This record gives sequence, C-alpha cells and structure tokens, in this order.
Amino acid sequence: MALASVTFFALALIAIASAVGVLIARSPIYSALSLVLNLLSVAGLYLTMNASFIGVIQILVYAGAIMVLVLFVIMLLNLDALPSPRSIGWGPILGFVLGIGLLAQLLYVMLTSFGISLEAAEPVTTAMAVENGSANTLGQILFTEYALHLQVAAILLLAATVGAVMLAQRRFA
Amino acid sequence: MDLSGAFTAMWADLPAIFSMLIVGAAGLVVILMEAFQNRDPRIPWLTAGAFGLAMGWEAFQLGTAPDTAFFEQLRTGGYAAYINLLILGAGLFTTLVSPPYLRRLNRNFGEVYALLLFATVGMIMLGTSNTLISVFVGLETMSVCLYIMAGLLREDEGGIESGFKYFVLGAFSTGFLLYGIALMYGTTGTMHLPEMAGAFPDGVPLLFWAGVGLVIVGFGFKVSAAPFHMWTPDVYQGAPTTLTGYMSTASKASAFAALILILFFALPSAQASLVLAVLALITMAVGNVMALRQANVKRMLAYSSIAHAGYMFVALASGTTAGYSGALFYLLVYTVMNLGAFGVLALLEWDGMAGRKQTLSSLAGMGLERPVLGASMAVFMFSLIGFPPFGGFIGKYYIFAPAVSAGLTWLVIIGLLFSAMSGYYYLRVIYVLYMQTAADVAEADRAPEGGFAQPAWLSTAAVALCAVLLLVLGVAFSGVVDVTEMLFIQADAMAQTP
Amino acid sequence: MDSELLVRLILLLPLAGALFSGVLPLFLPQLRTSEGLIGTVSTAAVALPFAFAVYLFATFSGDPIITSYFTWMAAGDLSIDFAYRIDELSLIMLLVVTGVGSVIHLYSTGYMHGDSGFWRFFAYLNLFIFAMLNLILANNLPVLFLGWEGVGLCSYLLIGFWYTDLSNSAAANKAFIVNRVGDFAFLLAMFFLFREVGALDFGTLLAEGPGIDTTVLGFIVLLIFIGATGKSAQLPLFVWLPDAMAGPTPVSALIHAATMVTSGLYLLARLSPMVLEVPHIMVIIGIVGAITALMAATIAITQNDIKKVLAYSTVSQLGFMFMAAGVGAFFVAIFHVVTHAFFKGCLFLCSGSVIHSMEHVEHDLEAKGHNMAGFDPQDMRTMGGLKDYMPSTRWTYLISTLAIAGIPLLAGFFSKDEILFKSFELGYSGAFYGYVVWGIAVVTALLTAFYMLRSYMLTFEGEPRWPDADTVHPHESPASMTIPLWILAGLSIVGGYIGLPAVIQGGDLNWIHHFLGEPYGGPVHEMKDLAKVPLALKWGLVGFGSLIAIVGAYIGYRAYRPGQAMAYDTALQNRLGGLYTFWDAKYHIDDFYNEVIVDGLLDTSKKVLQPMDATLIDGVVNGVAALSQSVSNGVSRIQTGLIQNYALMLVLGVVLVLGLIMVGA
Repeated sequence: MALASVTFFALALIAIASAVGVLIARSPIYSALSLVLNLLSVAGLYLTMNASFIGVIQILVYAGAIMVLVLFVIMLLNLDALPSPRSIGWGPILGFVLGIGLLAQLLYVMLTSFGISLEAAEPVTTAMAVENGSANTLGQILFTEYALHLQVAAILLLAATVGAVMLAQRRFA
Repeated sequence: MDLSGAFTAMWADLPAIFSMLIVGAAGLVVILMEAFQNRDPRIPWLTAGAFGLAMGWEAFQLGTAPDTAFFEQLRTGGYAAYINLLILGAGLFTTLVSPPYLRRLNRNFGEVYALLLFATVGMIMLGTSNTLISVFVGLETMSVCLYIMAGLLREDEGGIESGFKYFVLGAFSTGFLLYGIALMYGTTGTMHLPEMAGAFPDGVPLLFWAGVGLVIVGFGFKVSAAPFHMWTPDVYQGAPTTLTGYMSTASKASAFAALILILFFALPSAQASLVLAVLALITMAVGNVMALRQANVKRMLAYSSIAHAGYMFVALASGTTAGYSGALFYLLVYTVMNLGAFGVLALLEWDGMAGRKQTLSSLAGMGLERPVLGASMAVFMFSLIGFPPFGGFIGKYYIFAPAVSAGLTWLVIIGLLFSAMSGYYYLRVIYVLYMQTAADVAEADRAPEGGFAQPAWLSTAAVALCAVLLLVLGVAFSGVVDVTEMLFIQADAMAQTP
Repeated sequence: MDSELLVRLILLLPLAGALFSGVLPLFLPQLRTSEGLIGTVSTAAVALPFAFAVYLFATFSGDPIITSYFTWMAAGDLSIDFAYRIDELSLIMLLVVTGVGSVIHLYSTGYMHGDSGFWRFFAYLNLFIFAMLNLILANNLPVLFLGWEGVGLCSYLLIGFWYTDLSNSAAANKAFIVNRVGDFAFLLAMFFLFREVGALDFGTLLAEGPGIDTTVLGFIVLLIFIGATGKSAQLPLFVWLPDAMAGPTPVSALIHAATMVTSGLYLLARLSPMVLEVPHIMVIIGIVGAITALMAATIAITQNDIKKVLAYSTVSQLGFMFMAAGVGAFFVAIFHVVTHAFFKGCLFLCSGSVIHSMEHVEHDLEAKGHNMAGFDPQDMRTMGGLKDYMPSTRWTYLISTLAIAGIPLLAGFFSKDEILFKSFELGYSGAFYGYVVWGIAVVTALLTAFYMLRSYMLTFEGEPRWPDADTVHPHESPASMTIPLWILAGLSIVGGYIGLPAVIQGGDLNWIHHFLGEPYGGPVHEMKDLAKVPLALKWGLVGFGSLIAIVGAYIGYRAYRPGQAMAYDTALQNRLGGLYTFWDAKYHIDDFYNEVIVDGLLDTSKKVLQPMDATLIDGVVNGVAALSQSVSNGVSRIQTGLIQNYALMLVLGVVLVLGLIMVGA
C-alpha cells in the first residue's frame, strides 16, 4: 500500500503542478506541453487504480492525438508568447480569492467526510479490480447497460460534426 | 454476464424509447436529405411529422404506471410522457414557426432541423433520466446542439459571439456538474437516483451535499438561474428568434424535469431547500430588475425567462410533492407562453437595412396591423404577468401555494412583489403594440414599408393556438393539475417499493 | 332525451352562435353584411334552447337535475365544478330568458337592419344569453358569479354599442362602474359564505346556510342584497339603468328590462331559506324596494324621453319585486319577474318601433330642408297621433300599458295584486313594515298607471307634434318587428293566469306558487305562520287594487286626452313647484354622486394622492429604476471583460451554493 500511496501522491503533485504550468506559462508551446504532462500524469493515476483501459485511451487520444493537433495549430498560427502583464486587474484577483474560497470549502467538506466508508458487497481484490478495468468488461457494460447512452453519445458527436461543418463551411447569404 | 439476455431485454424496452427513436431517426434522414438536395422543402414537414408522431405516442403513455427501461437508466410512464410531450410540443411548435423566419434570414438549412431533432433526443434522455449517467449524456447532447443553434447567425453582430459564449461557459459549468456527479457517486456508490436517498444508513456526509450543490450549479446554469444566468441575455439575443424560443422552453423543461427527479428521488432530506430558496430569491430579483430597462424585446424576454426560472425554484424549494407537481404544471404554462411570445417576435421582427430589428419601438402599432399576432402577444404578456384568467395565473398559484404550506411565506411574498413589478415591462409591450403608432417612435426604429415577412398562416395559427391553450389552461386547468399531481403520487409509490 | 345533453346544448348553442357571428366575420369580412345568415343563426341559437327548455319543463319530474361537466378548480377544501342545476326556479327563469330572448332576437333582425355593426350586435346578444344562462342555471355561487360578471360585461358592450358617440361610452362606463360596487359586495358575501359553510354549491349552502349565526348571516344577506341592488338597479345604485338606455332598444328590452336586471331577484329567491332567517334584513330589503319604486315612479312622471320613462318604470317595477322579496314572498317576486318580462319587453320593443319610425320622420324632414339639429326621435313632445300610422305598435303598446298599470285581468294585475296582498298579509300578521310597504306600493301603483297612460297618450293619441306633420308620415315597422310585439302583447294578456290570486279557491289555483313554493316541494321558501286574512277583506283588497289602477289610468287619460297635448305637464309643474323640479332632477342622486363622490375622489387624488404618487410612489419606482440602471451599468462593466467575468460570477455562485448547502435548511 505504501508504494501505491507514494505513486499516487507523486502523480497527483505532478498533475497539479503541470496544470498550474498551463496557466502561468507565457509561451503557448510551454502551455501545451504542460498540458501533455498533466494528461500523462492523470493517465498514470488511472493506471495505479487498475483502470488500465482508460489510462491507455487517455494517452492515445488526449496526450497523443488531440495534443498533437493543438500543437500543430499553435505552430501553424505562429503564436507569440504573451507579454508579461504590467498590472493585474481586479478580475484575476477576485478570481483568485474566489478560487481559494472554493478550495477551502471543498477541503472542509472532504475533511468532514473522511470517516465515511461504503458498504461494499464483497471486498474488492486486486484481481477483480484489474478485471473491472479491462477493455473486455468495459465493452460488455458499454454495449449492454449503457448501450443507449452510447447511441446518444454518437448522436452528440454527429451533431457536433454537422454543426461544425455547417458553421464553418456553409455559404451564408 | 449473459449477453443474450441483455439483448432480449433491450429489444423489449424499445417501445419505451419510441420518441427518441423516431426523433433521432428523423434527424438522420434529414441530414441525408439535405445532402442530396440543398434546402429540401420537405424537411420541415418531415420534422414536424416526427414530432407529431412522437407526441401522439406519448399522449397514450400519459396514464401508464411508472417504470424504468434500459437497465433502469430511463424512467417511463406518466411522468416521462408528460415531460416528453412538453419537449416534443415545443419542438413541433418551433418547426412550425421556423421556416418563414429562417427563410427570411437565409438560414433555412436542413441541418437546423436535424440539430433540433438531435437536441430533442438529448432532452428526452435528460428529462426522463433515472441515473446520473443519463443526466450527463442527455444534458451534453442537448447542449452541444444548442451551442450550434446559438451561433447560427454567423455574420450577425452577436451571433457567433453568442454561440461561443454559450459554449465556453457551458463547458465551464459542465465541469461543476461532473464534479458534483462524481461526488454523489463517490459517496453513494451508485448512479441510480432512487437508490441514493437510501444509501446512508448512518448519516449523510457533507461530501454528498457538496455534490448535490454542484449538480444544482450545473442545472442552475442550464435553466439560467442567477448568478449563473449571465450568458442568457446575450445568447437569447444572438440566436435566431424561433430557436431562442425553443432554447428557453424545451431545454428548461427537460432540465427542470431532471432536477426535480434528482431532488425527489436522490435527496435523503431537505438540506438543499435553503440553497434553492436563496437561488429563487436572487433569480427573481435579477430577472425582474434587469428586465425593467431593456429596450430590446428579446433581451427583455431573456430576463423574463430568468425571472420565471426563479418562480419555479420557489416551488422546488418547498420540497413537497405538491411543489414538484406545481412546478411541472408551471413548466407547461411557461412553455406555452414563452414559445408563443418568441413566436410572435419572430414573425414581427423585420429585416431592415441594418439587419434584424428587435427593439420594442419597432413593434409600435403592430397590434392593430396584425390583429391575431397582436392579440396573442397580449395574451402571452398577461399570462406572463400572471393575470387571470390565463394559465400564468393558475401556474403561479400552484407554485406559490405549496411554498406557503412549506413555510416559505417570506419567499412567496417577495415573489409576488416581483410579479407585480413584472407587470411594468410586460404591459409596456402591450402598450406599444396597441397605443403607439409608427409615428410615435424615432425614425430609426420604424419598420420600413414591406419590411415584415409575408403573413405565414401556419406560423400565425400555431401562435394563436398557444394563446388559446393558455386561456384553456387558465380556465379548465384542474385536469392538467390532476395529472401532474398523479404523476407524483405514482412516483411516490414507486419510490417506496424498491 | 338525455337531460344532461340538453343542458349542455342549451348552454353551448348561444355560445356557438356568439362565436359564429362574432369571430368568423373578423376573418371573413363578406360575412359581416350577410344579415340574413347571421340573424337566422343567432336567433336559432336562442330559439332552439327555448325548445329544449320547453321539453325539460314538460318532462320535469320535480327532482332537481344536477349536471356537472368538469371540475373548474380544486384548491384545498375548495372544489368548484362547472355544475348546473335544473329545478323549478331555474326552469322558470330559463323559459323566460330563452323565450323572451328569442322573440327579441327576432325583433332585432328587423331593428338592426342596415347597421354596420349588425354581426357584432348579434355576437354580443348571444354572448349575453350564454352568460345569463350560466347565471340562472349555475349550481354554485362561483359559476353564478361568472355569469353575473358575464352579463355585466355584455351589458357594458351593448350600452356602448354605438361607441363613437362619447355619451354612450360614458353611459356604458357608468353602468360598469356602478355595478362594480355591487359585485364587490357580492364577492365579499361569497367569501363569508365559504368561511362559514366551507362549500359554495347550492345543495350545501341551502342546507347549512340557514344555520349560520344570525349576526353573520345578517351581514352575508345584506351584502348579497347590496350586490343585487347593483345589478337590479335599486337604491342607491339604480342610477346606471336610465343611462343604460343609450344602447340599442332591443338591448334595453332584453337586458335592462326582462332578464339581467332581474338576476338580483333570482339570487334572493335562490337563497330564500337564508334570507328568511334574518327578518331585520328583510325589512331593509322591503323598505328599500318600496322607496325605490316610489322614487322611480315620481321621476318617471317628469320624463319626456319615451325610453327614459320606461327605464324609470323598470326601476319602479323592480322595486315592486324587492318589496315582494322583502315581505318574504319570493315566489311572487319571480311571478312579477315573469309578467314584467312580458309587458316591459313589449313596451320597450314598441318604443323601439316608435323610435325607428320617428327616425324616418327626422330623415324625411331633413330631406325637406328642415333644420333638425334639436330634434330627438325619442322625445314624446314631438310625437303624438302615431296610432293612425302604426296600428300594431299602438295596440300592443296600449295592451302592455294597461297590463303594467294593473288593469284587471291583464298580466300585471295579478302579479302586482299579489305583491300588495302579500305585504298587507304580513302587516296583518303583526309585522308593521308590511303595512308601510303596502301603503307605498298602493301609491306607486296609482302613479304607475298615471305615468304609463301619460306616455301612451303623448305618443299615440292627439295631434302629431312634429313639423310638417301633414306631409311627413311615419310608417309601421316591418313584420319581423311587429310579430314579436304581438307575441309579447299576447303574453301580457294571458301571462297572469299562472298565478291566480288567493281569493279564488283559497289560492289553490295559484299555479306558480305551487310550482315554485317550498310548501309544495319547490325550491323557493316563503314566510310561514302568517295570519289568515278573512275572505271578505281579501276581496276588498283586490277591489281596492283594481280601483287604484283604474283611477290612475283614468286620471292619466283625462290629463293627456287628445287636444290637451303637453298642457297638463305645465299645470303639474306649476302645482307641484319645487317638488316637480326635485323629481325632474332625479332627487339629485346623480348630482350627489358626481359632486360628493366623484369630485371628492378627484379632489382627494389631486390634493393627497397626486403628491403622494409624485413623491412616494414615483420615488420608489424611480429609485428602483435608478437602482436597476446602476445594476445594469455594473453588469455592463463586467461584460467588457467578456467571458472571464461571466465565469467569475459563476464561481461566485458556486461558492455561494456550497456555503449555503453546508448551512442547510
């Protein structure tokens, strides 16, 4: 367990740090690369929790395909690094205060709720956890229990595609 | 897992999603038709047909007992049928009023109707969801379609901006919703709403309530409750008017329906009542105060729809079955009057030199020039105020009365004060329609000769039907109220027998 | 036939007629001028319900038929159905409303011929019938109230029918506003009743209503009576009715004589068991009725407008009905409602016929180059001698005049005599106010005979008094107008035989009493344990009543006999002096309202409310406006930052929601 905890906290720290990096990096490239790091560490978190399929998909789809696309766009548009802010407006300050407030609230909630334990029908063994995270199990659930959602999600994607094409390509007027 | 059994079960459940099937299939057909023939004139008819057919089906399901389908993912029976009828009816109305309007703006694409149909699929899933997964998938399907609709008028000032704002803020709020869902799932270990309330034998952890709060935030955004309402005026103003009508009614109806399901089934106690009451207060205040000074009718109606979300939150805050059924009834009334009001607006908006004109002054004297539309608009405005004998009055009664019973008298008094205040901006529309003429308004606001679209009888008839329906709802409402009440008595029985 | 279906048809046919002639022509302008179609459909939409009503009447078993169509509203303990009740009382009213209504519809097809608002007129008229049917058939007070307001609305629309003339609109407004006072009282009574009884349907009300604590019940009945004084034009709210004559004459006949104005009586008769529990209020009802009758009769003497005479006569006759109600003889009140509907309907229609032909005279004179600026086709001073030109109108007017005067064996004689007898009987039984009412009623009856004969003589007898009378002649109205006159005149002759007086076989042949009266199983209660008036005295009273009528009529005939023209008016004026002026000024009641109430209100609002409005209300409104302006300014400042700031607001909301949910309820 100790090793698992160490891995978890290490990956979590990297994830948070890289997320902060996305925000504060002045260069879009650094920002994007930080995001890749963030996605990778989250994928690592999935893996430590035996959700192997999702972990792999995370790397393939997000860290791989999507981020490459993002980087290409950045490079093609040849975006400059943002200038350093001369002064900080009240907006970001307020946002920061609110963010801290929200964080404090959530932390408080978590701390009060540490004691809860879920009544599991049977103790989850490592083997079961591995089985649960496999592509096989996921596929079975996805095509039975969540078959309808899968179809609706397909409609969602179709609508998004159609909409994007229409907004970008249709000749208006 | 025995897959063959699963497929038999799904096959048997197909009738439960008849409407989704019809509407979704129609959407696919529409896309194909559009691909073969640009702006195929049959598309609106096909769309209307699909909505009508689905409505017919749902009408027969109104009296059926509550049940679930697709591995308890969706609810069926009376409640679902009622919500679906609302959503499909809004879709049908929108399909009927849209063609002349969109044609005038040169946006009468088949894709618009396909998106309308796809959005409806999402709404049906959302409004009848029995698990948080269904809530999320339905909500997102609906939202994506609405984002695109909001940005349809690309060249128009505010058009693409409205779509973009809606999209970014929507994604932001979805983050909160997802976090809430995760917390609710994490603390209960189940996605099924009816199982959640009983998942805490020894006390409800605060973490669960935090999840509920975040889910309320997500829904608050969708139904434009303050302070999550900021996108509403911009988006409503920028979107094509008939689609604004659809957004402001169908999406709210299904989001409220899902929220009611969550509040009713998943919450073990009335802890959320204070939140809902405060949201109701802020929302009523923001909506009504901001609507006072709007010169743009669409913006005014946007704030009005915010205010009405506030009224509905009053009913939800009461936390009783009477409150929920009152909210359901109000949803019906609200849908009819808002659809109608936006419909009238769509037919009276003119295409001047400087683009669409939506200012209040541009409606001067229209009440007499277009008597049916004018009279209908007057009915909608009176009903929105909550003036007897129109549906709005009865609707307000049925959402305020349970709140009084639940001890929220202070909130109801404030709500009534705001309703009285709303008379100012609603009556101003009637005043301009009937008491002013084009000569009374500034040159720039005047409608040019022939600026209006040719009278579209089908659209006009649909608007007039809404007005008549409001009158009927205002007089012979008890049947509908009985239905909404019965839905909850049934749901109650359902919740007690797991 | 299924009675439920019949009731439905009776109610819905007039509504359908109203929709047909009111809504369709909106969209089909060519329909507006199809007078034949609109007239036929509208008349049929009232005549058919009359036929159904006759069938219901013929097959009526004695048990009330209650039909409930659907629940109108249900809130807490309150459940109100659209329920209708067919019993003896509502049947009588139903027959009168649809019967007289269809005759007047027929008449209107002739009267309104050529008017550009023909379709509108019939739509309103049918709508009125629908509302009136709701009023009399309702099985609970809210539905009755719906009809009550509905007839008020239609009355408003029809009084102001020729709305281009501002005085007509003013009259319509007056009727509406004055009625509002009464309606408010009625509403209050309804709320009290619901508080006391917990239900508003007549079944429960009549069973439990009489058991309410007498003090409370007194207030309730008083409020209902005040409501009735508004609709039925009694003191102090009668001022609207004479002005209501601004509407087309068939409207005056149907609404302001035969049906709507009697709804107050209907209400009292319907609630008679409760009214009878509070004798002190009944005194008020009887005395108010008596004073109204006397006052209106004296005013009628001084009027020169033929319709105004009839209007004040209507107020006076309504006073008679309230006297009957006040002495506890509700069935007699209804009896008088029925006979009054016949003869007063006939009188109004005759006056319409006269006005019609006088308008032709005016037209002809104008064609001859006369200056007709001061000419009023309704002014009796310019009439005279019409009997030679309009025989049908003359005879029917004479018959109904004699009927209202109470000349023996005509309809009015029986009902008026019954009122006199019932009040005398009450006085004889020891309640002194019975004698008072009787005394006033006798005087009023004398005056009635006098002023009605006056109106007849001035209009039809003597020499024509309009200019150029030798060459310009009025013409009799078309058959569509004279046939209704004869129908109603016939009813004015025979209508009284449904209530033969007590002198004949001890009242056993008084059909309407046996039909309506509670002792015989009907719904209308009456005063019990009255002392028995000896038969000889009864005969004496009948004889006295007849004598009064004949004497009054004779004086009227003598005073205005041919050749006298208007001379007697001047003589009367000289003899009565200030009193005459006082009558002519309508007891200054209108002036009182105008100067004290209206001006008082105006003053108050100018001196008190206006400054308050300007400072306080406007201040608040402007404050709110300014506040919202600053709020929207604030918001637009946020909007400059675009989405980020919206998102900021969203996060603020999240913090708020999370904070609140932790606090909990």
